[in-house]
Amino acid sequence: MSEYYDTLLELCDFTPEEIDGQRPRIEMAIEKIGLDRHDFSRAEERVSSQHDIALRGVRRLLRAWLLELLDLVLSREEGKKVVYYGYPSIQGPGMTIKAASTIDLYVGCPDVVLCHTLGQIFDKLTPILETAEKGGLPPGHGLCSLQQVRSGALALGIVPVPDLVTGSSYFCDMGSKADELLHEIYGHPAIYVDGSMDSDWGAYPQLPSARIKYLGAQIDKLFATVKDLLGVEVTPQSSEKAMLISRRFFSGLGRLTKLMAADPMPVSGVESGLALNLAAASTGISMTEGAEAIELLCGEVAARVDTSEGIMEKGAPRILSFIQPFSDPSITHMMESAGLALSSSIVTVPPPKRDPSIQINTLGEERAEAALRDLYHSGYGLVKRFEDAARRMEVDGVLWGYLFNCRPLAQYSHLVKQWVEEKTGIPTLSLEMDIYDSRNYGPEALKTRVEAFAEMLRARKAA
Amino acid sequence: MEAIQRLAAHVKSRMGDLIRHKKQGGKIVGYSPGGYLPEEIVLAAGAIPVCMARGGDHTLVELAGAYVCRWLDTFCRTQIAYGASGEDPYYNVLDLLAIPITDNHVRAVSDILSYHTGLDIFPFGVPHMKEQAASDYYLHGINRFKEKMENLCSVSITEQKLKQAIELCNRERELFRNISLLRQANPSPVKGSDFVALHHGSLVADKEFMVDVLEAVYRHFQENAPLRESAPRLLFTGSTLAIGDLRVLNLIEGYGGKVVIEEFAEGLRPYWENVSLDGDPMAALADAYFTRRVPPAWFRPGTERLDFLLKLAGDYTVDGVVWYHLLYRESYKTESYYFPRRLKDGPGIPMIVIESDYDASEAGQLSTRIETFMHTLRS
Repeated sequence: MSEYYDTLLELCDFTPEEIDGQRPRIEMAIEKIGLDRHDFSRAEERVSSQHDIALRGVRRLLRAWLLELLDLVLSREEGKKVVYYGYPSIQGPGMTIKAASTIDLYVGCPDVVLCHTLGQIFDKLTPILETAEKGGLPPGHGLCSLQQVRSGALALGIVPVPDLVTGSSYFCDMGSKADELLHEIYGHPAIYVDGSMDSDWGAYPQLPSARIKYLGAQIDKLFATVKDLLGVEVTPQSSEKAMLISRRFFSGLGRLTKLMAADPMPVSGVESGLALNLAAASTGISMTEGAEAIELLCGEVAARVDTSEGIMEKGAPRILSFIQPFSDPSITHMMESAGLALSSSIVTVPPPKRDPSIQINTLGEERAEAALRDLYHSGYGLVKRFEDAARRMEVDGVLWGYLFNCRPLAQYSHLVKQWVEEKTGIPTLSLEMDIYDSRNYGPEALKTRVEAFAEMLRARKAA
Repeated sequence: MEAIQRLAAHVKSRMGDLIRHKKQGGKIVGYSPGGYLPEEIVLAAGAIPVCMARGGDHTLVELAGAYVCRWLDTFCRTQIAYGASGEDPYYNVLDLLAIPITDNHVRAVSDILSYHTGLDIFPFGVPHMKEQAASDYYLHGINRFKEKMENLCSVSITEQKLKQAIELCNRERELFRNISLLRQANPSPVKGSDFVALHHGSLVADKEFMVDVLEAVYRHFQENAPLRESAPRLLFTGSTLAIGDLRVLNLIEGYGGKVVIEEFAEGLRPYWENVSLDGDPMAALADAYFTRRVPPAWFRPGTERLDFLLKLAGDYTVDGVVWYHLLYRESYKTESYYFPRRLKDGPGIPMIVIESDYDASEAGQLSTRIETFMHTLRS
């Protein structure tokens, strides 16, 4: 017998048999989250209007996110040990821990999962954010809304108190401090993976060995703690397994990035965001279903490219952006409606290759080197990455949508634009955003500046 | 007090001293406050250290908007404005700006000034944990700094020179500590604003002159016992107490409160730990400046500092805590949520949280809140 939630799940590529099989889990999760039939009706409407569900790859990705939500919300009831990591920078070690696990273990980033499900699909993030605002992370102080999502969801009992939490103390101050706040309230252990972004301005991509050594020691400490607390031992084999999965995942993302460079742009940035962030938030479903969903999507998008089918008119200015909003796809749709083809993201343009002269001694150092070579190198590394990616992707414009409440990004609010325009001549829009909480940064608030930028780029192309 | 007036006059004419030193081929090394830059290394190289700790002026905060968005700590935005605008004489006289990177706000100062100015900037990392690997990383950073100073000044920093500088700085720390400890008495002989004035003066003053002033001040307070008083005794703590940012302190004293102990991450000189003169001086510096130092809120976790605050509250028998942090300094903002509960469960004293963007429009609200807090403490 069908239930009110079946239609949404079918839209997200669940078969009736799968729904029947998952029904007890689904109903338990619905109760824990506090969703009702109206939420599902609204979600059906949102998914149909905000996502390109003609593409099965998109539906598979939505399915993966919903499965991840179920796994997260029910992890405690299902007898799993629970490890949360911070976004964005602990995903690699998280995947490695999951790959090493011989016990029933949930490893993931709950805040990002909730943004993509309760935010993007159900539009139910506001009560969670408001709960966090009453619990030590008040509004108006530039505190990270992603941390608010985690805090609010814990307070409301939507997600379980973890057995271990680990945060990226080497990139962001807020994540670790929010972990500390939650530790004060719930008492769970927190492991801070520390480092220091202290490279000289102008020193990119050079990577001092001391930085690799220190961050590597911190990641090794995390692995040792996981072994002590959970009995999960990270080995070179499990690390290699995680690397293989990541490679497959990121190879798919790389292919998608290339396909999105087609003119006309074949699929919305909303969908590439679904794919990209699954790798960042999930170590479970992304391992079992993620890569396959992305490959399926790539196949469908390639067919569109072959027939010159696009979601925007041909010749639309192509844009290198930072990252798509996690919780509110209407922002990306607004930008695309304004005529900007959000064809590439800095996150999917690969960083430089490893310097073979760098000596790596431990698994932690292996992970540290990979992280530091990418966006966690330095501020200079960030602006250089934008410059190099803008050139490589041959874009018409750059949209630097920095998160106002993310200090590692907001400090370059002006600098990315100044640097990219000075070095490449490519027009750059510096746009203050909040990709997790769109209450103050919704599409209407951003529209005027985005439309003006799009008009300027079109005029420039026409000249 | 005569010695404090002498210090004020010295600070007023300090820029002239710096310019003369520079004209004679000497080097001026600025550094960001936070207590992680061992001045001993600068002194041992024959250069003059100057702490870039001015703040309190909203005009500069507004000026910073040309270089960065507003969502950064107020003091750090002030430094960006001072440095990038080219209008600040202290920044203009520097041969080197050393920036121990403690958090992202300070990193912003380093990167934005690197891009917008011709300043020679030397960033080095301060880890956020007290572990062996972290101590090693800090030591690595100050060793790099020593090398940088040797190149800048074309000198070799010998162990002997370093130890001489350590002795001088230890004397300064010891005097600050002694003066501070006098305030455990009730009534305290030292006004909070006088103690802060000594700190702020010491951030730019000639080191030997400063030690001389502190000796005189210490003698004065030893010899002059205060009259009885009934002012509420306060612990004043927070992120940054910049030179020039005296509004909150003045309001506290204006409403009859007495700050008897302070703990700030930036703007006050750490004075609790001396540097050992035994063994390798660089390792000794790392030990005192990093390992034994009570860390600020940007350490993970901030437990050691919060425990230290509880200890200070007990040692100085305070009646209340004034927690003052600047806007968007998230580490302090987050701790300010749960520390009051510890205070309540521990010594059972109240705390007020003050947040500022150096804006004059805050004055009325600040005044009302501090006045009310003082009334609460008296009742």
